[in-house]
Amino acid sequence: MSRLKLVVLSLLALIATSAYAHNAICDCYDNGDETITCEGGFSDGGTAVGVPLRVVDSAGKVLVDGAMSANSDFKFAKPKGDFRVEFDAGAGHVVTIDGRDIEQ
Amino acid sequence: MSSSRASQRVGAARGRTAAAGLLLAGFAATAAHAHFQLLYTPEAALTESAEIPLALVFSHPFDNGFTMDMGPPEAFYVVSQRGDAAPRTTDLMQYLTPIEWAGVDSRAAAFVAHPPKSVTRSLGDYTFVLRPAPYYESNEDKYIQQITKTVVNIGGLPGHWDEPLGLPVEIVPLDKPYANWVGGVFRAVVLADGKPVPHAEIEVEYLNHEPRIDERRFDPEAKATAPQDSFTTLSIRADALGQVMIGLPKAGWWGICALNLDDGLKHEGKELSLDAVLWLKATDMTK
Repeated sequence: MSRLKLVVLSLLALIATSAYAHNAICDCYDNGDETITCEGGFSDGGTAVGVPLRVVDSAGKVLVDGAMSANSDFKFAKPKGDFRVEFDAGAGHVVTIDGRDIEQ
Repeated sequence: MSSSRASQRVGAARGRTAAAGLLLAGFAATAAHAHFQLLYTPEAALTESAEIPLALVFSHPFDNGFTMDMGPPEAFYVVSQRGDAAPRTTDLMQYLTPIEWAGVDSRAAAFVAHPPKSVTRSLGDYTFVLRPAPYYESNEDKYIQQITKTVVNIGGLPGHWDEPLGLPVEIVPLDKPYANWVGGVFRAVVLADGKPVPHAEIEVEYLNHEPRIDERRFDPEAKATAPQDSFTTLSIRADALGQVMIGLPKAGWWGICALNLDDGLKHEGKELSLDAVLWLKATDMTK
């Protein structure tokens, strides 16, 4: 199954976050050097600059609390244990990626 | 562009398609088969990053007919862009492997390429560009060079698929070339030296025999049958603004070729027809 997940916007989300009136898109890959890069954006080509991105462990503890760069990406050190990435573009626009699905 | 130049282009184009049919003795009665530079990959819209295999073949895509020898390309690269980020150009010449490609009745020199996944690792648009070596068409004593683009998208995050790449001649999409339902229409504009070409002579063909890259041949089985020769190569004109619109009645790849866009060019002392090709894919609307 694709680790790339599209979040279908709900009517509620459309109202709540009019700036993001399209699908949120995020994908992560392992750089092979103990770091991971995540890229994000929106299906209309819109930028994800400044969109919060969190790395969370299996207990829910936030390991990395970041935001997408000027290039709409974010690089972080690969955690040792299980983790997930949350690309949080607002209500109805959260993309969650399981760390086990992140490949080189 | 004056109407007289347009007329000259039409004359040159018709001569070429007729000559192509004559290459095979048995085809003498079936006149119009267009040369098309293929820049083929199986999928136009990928859900996630993958290695993208490519086949570079100079052939007649509807009838799997006479396939022509390609020389080493002059340029082969990909322009990628993720959202509003700056475009990035990656040279792909190092990944070209010369091969022999099999049509039904002919074999010819062609190329395959398997750029590593790192080349197509990011989300967004990837426009593959091929500037092949000029092909000498002995029946017309002239050269043909088709600058060809194929656009692939990864993950649904678009780039600037609708912007020209600054090529001498090119067909610029007005609809995403990788996101078309069967039954829809596709629009594009023909440019030469960055300017629209009114009434450009256009040929459209359906890739009727799916290329099998690993087997280095076309699938011998046709997806469709033309009731008459006019349907093999659809000949149309751009409008007064240089825009082209085609219908998409069947799933698969469709090629649009704008012919002889730069009059007066020479290669090795002979006339050179500089053409622009764009490939787009239509997809069935299913569950």
